[in-house]
Amino acid sequence: MIVTKLEELHQLPEYKEALVELLFQLADDDFIIAYRGSEWLGLAPHIEEDVAFSSITQDTMGHAAMYYQLLEDIGMGRADDLAHGRGANERRNAILLEEVNGPGHYLYEPQYDWAFAVVRNYFYTQAKKVRIDSLKNCSYEPLAQVAVKVNMELYYHLMHWRTWFVQLVNAGGEARERMRKAVEKVFDDFAGVLSLGEKGEKMVECGLIDSEEVLKARWLQAVKPVFEQTNLELPSEFHMKRGNGRNGEHTADLIEALATLSEVYRMDPLAIW
Amino acid sequence: MAIVTSFERLSEEDKYQRFMERIEAGEKIEADDWMPDEYRMTLIKLIAMHGISEIMGALPEKEWVPKAPTLRRKLGIMAKVQDEMGHGQLLLRVAEDLMAPLGKTREEIMQDLFSGNLKFHNVFHMPAPTWGDAGLIGWLVDGAAIITQTNMLDASYGPYARALKRICAEEVFHAQHGESIILALAEGTKEQKEMLQGALNRWWDALLMFFGPDSPSTTGTSKQDITIKYRIRTKTNEQLRQDFFTKYVPRILSIGLQLPDETMHYDETEGKWIYRQPDWNQFKEIIRNNGPKSKERLRLRELSYRHNAWVREALSGSKATV
Amino acid sequence: MSGFYEVFEVFSRKNDTAPLQHQFSLLAPNHEIALVMAQENFMRREPVSDIWVVKRSDIRQMTEEEKGALKRLDNKDYRTTKGYGYLKKKWRQYEQEMFDEKEILSWKGEIQR
Repeated sequence: MIVTKLEELHQLPEYKEALVELLFQLADDDFIIAYRGSEWLGLAPHIEEDVAFSSITQDTMGHAAMYYQLLEDIGMGRADDLAHGRGANERRNAILLEEVNGPGHYLYEPQYDWAFAVVRNYFYTQAKKVRIDSLKNCSYEPLAQVAVKVNMELYYHLMHWRTWFVQLVNAGGEARERMRKAVEKVFDDFAGVLSLGEKGEKMVECGLIDSEEVLKARWLQAVKPVFEQTNLELPSEFHMKRGNGRNGEHTADLIEALATLSEVYRMDPLAIW
Repeated sequence: MAIVTSFERLSEEDKYQRFMERIEAGEKIEADDWMPDEYRMTLIKLIAMHGISEIMGALPEKEWVPKAPTLRRKLGIMAKVQDEMGHGQLLLRVAEDLMAPLGKTREEIMQDLFSGNLKFHNVFHMPAPTWGDAGLIGWLVDGAAIITQTNMLDASYGPYARALKRICAEEVFHAQHGESIILALAEGTKEQKEMLQGALNRWWDALLMFFGPDSPSTTGTSKQDITIKYRIRTKTNEQLRQDFFTKYVPRILSIGLQLPDETMHYDETEGKWIYRQPDWNQFKEIIRNNGPKSKERLRLRELSYRHNAWVREALSGSKATV
Repeated sequence: MSGFYEVFEVFSRKNDTAPLQHQFSLLAPNHEIALVMAQENFMRREPVSDIWVVKRSDIRQMTEEEKGALKRLDNKDYRTTKGYGYLKKKWRQYEQEMFDEKEILSWKGEIQR
């Protein structure tokens, strides 16, 4: 079954429900990781990297905007309201992506962890790539079209983060130790990134996306050569130590992030900004 | 090996004379060309300050990047602040090449910033407490920067002129980005209008100071005569400030804002804008890193620099391992 | 540790038939990182089809003095088409068109009989 038009979609309530859920996962993931990226702006290890990182952050927020737009088209509300106006329990992003960049605040005493940034972004981008490749065959055609577009920008994102990952791990010494710790930390919550949540089976049934198992196997296959090249151990199981964001479980980090990112919006959600 | 030639046997005075002939003929001086120490030191000071100001200038706006009120505004201001970092990159590269014969690198530029030896523009010491400030910075601070930077587009130092050409092309986007934010506020609710007027009131004196003092007697620090002698720039501080008024005062008034200077007017007979002088003693204090946000922003820059030192150390001198 | 990263010069091509153009320089620890930085630092807003990064220390530049070698007299029309402009008139005598640059470059392997 291929759904191309909104009229068709509105006659398939269960299909629509699964699709909306998936779109919120995709949108909220990219939105919150891009928000964390925007906090890094001006604080990266050197100026050239600051500029490069910001382009990736902008691309990623652009992808979130495309998914929110699909939700708006379906009748879920204005894209800007969906991005700024929803509470933490309504969010569907993985918990790993909402975690703060490190101790401190982006304006006061930030002690951001570049190792965590590299590992989280590399692993997430690879998961995103696997997901996008699957979505190119999505039964909801407007989403399949967006997947084709998003895919174009992922090559650079992956190359960028993989280069940093390999170089810092292979630098040895303190850098390797920091990277190894970051890998451990990211794996503690990485299952949440690969999860499709409670409605995952329905999504697969509707032909929206491949199953969690398939996506996970592809992810492992994609990173295997990099783990070999860096002589790191690749576990076969990951965890969701702090719960599953796909089901609305979140941490205080997200609540604080939402308060910041919607500070101006909330002054007057109806105003034109 | 370079051939040892007649030029190297010239006396210092003859070299200087030849250099000035090149400057006056409108030739561009390149990084490895002979140049008098005064020229080199003036350029280093000017361009390092310009570059580091871009980097420090990212900070007041950066505050509003995560907070921007819509997806499009978030993207727009992120791209704008990214450009500021990018301009810093271009300018620091130019300064670094000038400093190379003195054995200095970006490391020393950063250390000079932290120690207070390297100043940054007065405007970037000021607070930006509302979204209106973010818009106003984009509109008027960038507007002022466009006036000073276009004045140096034909600078005698080739690498600086080329960097400025890139920068000014991007400043056109910055100007429109700022206009877009402030026009939405100017056409918005009562609260939005007040937010904008508040920002203008807060930034006015800093904007006037941005162009620097009229003459060295005001603060004792103006370098304008030397930069004009070497054709790095063409206009004086006051001429640039007057240009700014000519371009921006009519626009400020046209959207219903009030100038926070009731004495401000254009004198037809004198052919210039009459305005109230900002407090130049305050200016001196600000650029000595005693402005309202100086310490906090320096701390932010220094902390991130130190906290990431392990990354630079891990990769410095490394062979590519991919 | 003394110093910072190394200087890399960045070159790019707008499209597959355009010449390489120098963009700017950047600091990076090695070629790989330099390449990953290059596009977003200097070509955020324009199309690019290829990028080269070159370590500056591998480049032999001209000195100010050596640039004197670039000067030459304007008496070499025998190596340019300018020196053969009279052919146009000649060919006309034989009722033939001159094969000028525009004509020759238009052929592209598609000569019509």
